Amino acid sequence: MAIAAVRRHHDGRLFVDERNAVATPHKRDQQGRGPEPARLERLERAGAELVAALDRGDVSADPLALALYRRDASMIEGSLALVAHPRSREQVVACLRVAARHGLPVVPRGSGTGLSGGATPSGDALVVVTTKLNRVLEVRPEDRLAWVEPGVLNLDLSNQLRPLGLHFAPDPSSQQTSSIGGNVSTNAGGPHCLAYGVTSGHVLAVEVALPDGEVVRLGAEGPEAPGLDLRGLVVGAEGTVGIVTAICVRLTPLAPAVRTLLLDFERVADAADTVAGIIAAGVIPAALELLDRRILEVIEPYAHAGYPTDAAAVLLAEVDGLPGGVAHEAALIERVARSHHVRSVVQARDEQHRARLWKGRKSAAGAVSLIAPHYYLHDTVVPRGKLTELLLRIYEVVERHQLIVVNVFHAGDGNLHPMLLFDRDQPGAFDRVLAASEEIVTACVEAGGVLSGEHGIGLEKRDLMPLLFGTDDLAAQDCTRAAFDPERRMNPAKVLPSGARCGDFAMARGKDQDLATMLEDLPEGSWI
Amino acid sequence: MDLTRPEAQTAPAPLPLLAPRSVEEVAGVLAEARGAGRRLLVVGGRTHLDKGNPSPVDAELSVAALDRLVEWNPAEMLAVVGAGMPCGRLDELLAEHGQEWPVDAPAAATVGGVIAAAASSPRRLRVGPVRDLVLEVELVSGAGRRIRAGGRTVKNVSGYDLCRLVTGSLGTLGVLTQVALKLRPRPAARRTVRAASRNGLFATAATLLAAVPRPTALLVTPIGIELRLEGWPADLEEQTALAIQALGGSGAVELHDEEPFPLARPWEAAPVVVEAAVAPSRLQAVVEAAADAEMLGWGALAGVGICWVGLPDGGALATLRERIQALDGIAPVVRGPGGGLGAAAPAPAVHRRLKRAFDPDGILAPGRFWGES
Repeated sequence: MAIAAVRRHHDGRLFVDERNAVATPHKRDQQGRGPEPARLERLERAGAELVAALDRGDVSADPLALALYRRDASMIEGSLALVAHPRSREQVVACLRVAARHGLPVVPRGSGTGLSGGATPSGDALVVVTTKLNRVLEVRPEDRLAWVEPGVLNLDLSNQLRPLGLHFAPDPSSQQTSSIGGNVSTNAGGPHCLAYGVTSGHVLAVEVALPDGEVVRLGAEGPEAPGLDLRGLVVGAEGTVGIVTAICVRLTPLAPAVRTLLLDFERVADAADTVAGIIAAGVIPAALELLDRRILEVIEPYAHAGYPTDAAAVLLAEVDGLPGGVAHEAALIERVARSHHVRSVVQARDEQHRARLWKGRKSAAGAVSLIAPHYYLHDTVVPRGKLTELLLRIYEVVERHQLIVVNVFHAGDGNLHPMLLFDRDQPGAFDRVLAASEEIVTACVEAGGVLSGEHGIGLEKRDLMPLLFGTDDLAAQDCTRAAFDPERRMNPAKVLPSGARCGDFAMARGKDQDLATMLEDLPEGSWI
Repeated sequence: MDLTRPEAQTAPAPLPLLAPRSVEEVAGVLAEARGAGRRLLVVGGRTHLDKGNPSPVDAELSVAALDRLVEWNPAEMLAVVGAGMPCGRLDELLAEHGQEWPVDAPAAATVGGVIAAAASSPRRLRVGPVRDLVLEVELVSGAGRRIRAGGRTVKNVSGYDLCRLVTGSLGTLGVLTQVALKLRPRPAARRTVRAASRNGLFATAATLLAAVPRPTALLVTPIGIELRLEGWPADLEEQTALAIQALGGSGAVELHDEEPFPLARPWEAAPVVVEAAVAPSRLQAVVEAAADAEMLGWGALAGVGICWVGLPDGGALATLRERIQALDGIAPVVRGPGGGLGAAAPAPAVHRRLKRAFDPDGILAPGRFWGES
């Protein structure tokens, strides 16, 4: 993909191009020493200050640690100078203060399951890993909320809440390993956000350490909070506005009844039309997933989920609620599917059968790793009515580029996840993947879609943002980011392309000032 | 450009009213205002104007003329409308295909006004807050920049969530001109289960919330409890049976099918209405505080944490706010004169920079939003 900040290694790996991406200034110091000694001295001092502020063994600059944190689950590698594992809010603040003192970029990181390079560092970054902030601080069933630290794993929280009849509704496919902090940063989705909504709707408040170390609580335990909805900006900001140190999540009662259906089609178009038909019939299922033939062939021998391997596509549909309505909706779904030539309809007989049907869906990534050394997973959203058109387009593009694609995705939301399978050691293969990827993303945007539904923009798609947004749109976003981080040290080079600058945007009066000065010169105490 | 026309009869203040008919004209009005140092209050249906601190302005900018249905594909559950689209007209349109944008605002309220005021629906327990129902926004910033954010899909993390920034910003960052709305299917059936007033209203409400799955709303008022149920007829029957069981029998229960919700708004007639927001378990404490403030009536959304309190005047406001702030809540005035928001925002520097970036000349209702002093 045409990403200015990302370059190819001779062995096929992607890495962040320092010349384009980074933020660390390498100025000569006052003694006139060259950049390198001054830089090393600064890093050494920063490291020593971190060691003093954090627990023993929680700060590292050794080669193995630096290698481990060079990238997230994406294909893009970067660089870093230091890794810190704070265990408390105070230690997070210490990390930010040390970084501020020495002008280091700060890259927050949760479990590292992100697929867009959002946690891939660059330059002399300090990577702040939140996995040791992993306590559930408070559960208040009477208010249907819980305060958790960012390193708590998504599924761990829901498992812990189950005896109370509650759960945290966002369920990204990575939920066994991804952290709530990471879910907040990417505004994560998952199969069940079709009915329950994405992460933003399940975050009541966040406690955030701003880049200068000030800790603020944004949002409220109640339904409304004073001020602008800064909570809403922090969710999905991919770690570019501060480090989330605690999250107040909204808890959702478990549904009293659930019904899961497997619908089997001979044509992909029939499956996709059934998706649109179900929604048009006034049913919003809890989940509505589409799996195409190729992924069925891969999953079934691996997971033994009972999927037909000769179908062109299957839909995994789930409805939940009260028993009567659930039966009614299941019947409606079946009727819509019949009108689109469904070959067979299987309803989960019991909880065990239901778990087996879902196991197939959830083991897609694992199954794929058995047949291809690498895969490139996409995440775009298109209007539901365009699903057939886009799926056929994807098949056409990958065939032309001599690649294999498998599709398993959140069809009810129009959230496509084509997985391009390849072997990076095969000459030219990865180039073909990148070329096909760009065509696929562009086609989705042209069909009225967006760049990402739940993975985020990160490094991977930041240079594609102009496909969606104009100069002023991007400048407004940059201003929003700069309002939290005027020095732009938080996770630099992410989300926005390098051309997006706030400066001109607010220049109604035609002055050309430094942004930081301009944003600061509103007098203290004035109305906002 | 002269878009000035005489002030509408109902408005109290003799302010000039500017009514641009296109985005270009909105930008023109803003450019002129910047040039003349003229401060503007953005208005829609004038139903939510009392929310916010009193702001000295020189003119009003109405978006009422931007009232088009731009795009509506029922199968996508998504409609694109001008910010001036009245909620009543939108609801009638959407009903044709059995859909709704569930904000339950007055018919005259505009879509843009409801978003700018982040007005709470009484059905919020089930339908969520307004901020979860806005997918894409187009606005002209105070600086005159035309901005689009979000997208026309139900799921989107392409960049910073400016839709949520704008929702509830009371027209202080820019003028909303067009929005894409997330719709939902209109329920097949509606029922209100009403129980007369009794001792332990909030304990009863808690029992009902635990016993009845997926209620649409549970309104507690001094004259009783209204449990709102919406969905498939079979669900309503089952929910009703569970509710009656939890209430200890059908004797004290009335069923109202297909009637508007709520049946009664005992806070509404008061000259000043406060919309308190607290964690749901603290609603009873809000009502106790309101009783000491000589309130005229109240209604609390159990499970949500909203409590509307009617007051005779602004006299008791300060004390009531103090009590509600002690409950970690807020209590903005949503109707009545001069009440204001009465709460300080966190991260004032971030707020200041945002205002500065979007409205550097401070022409959009300066001071209407949370201030620092």
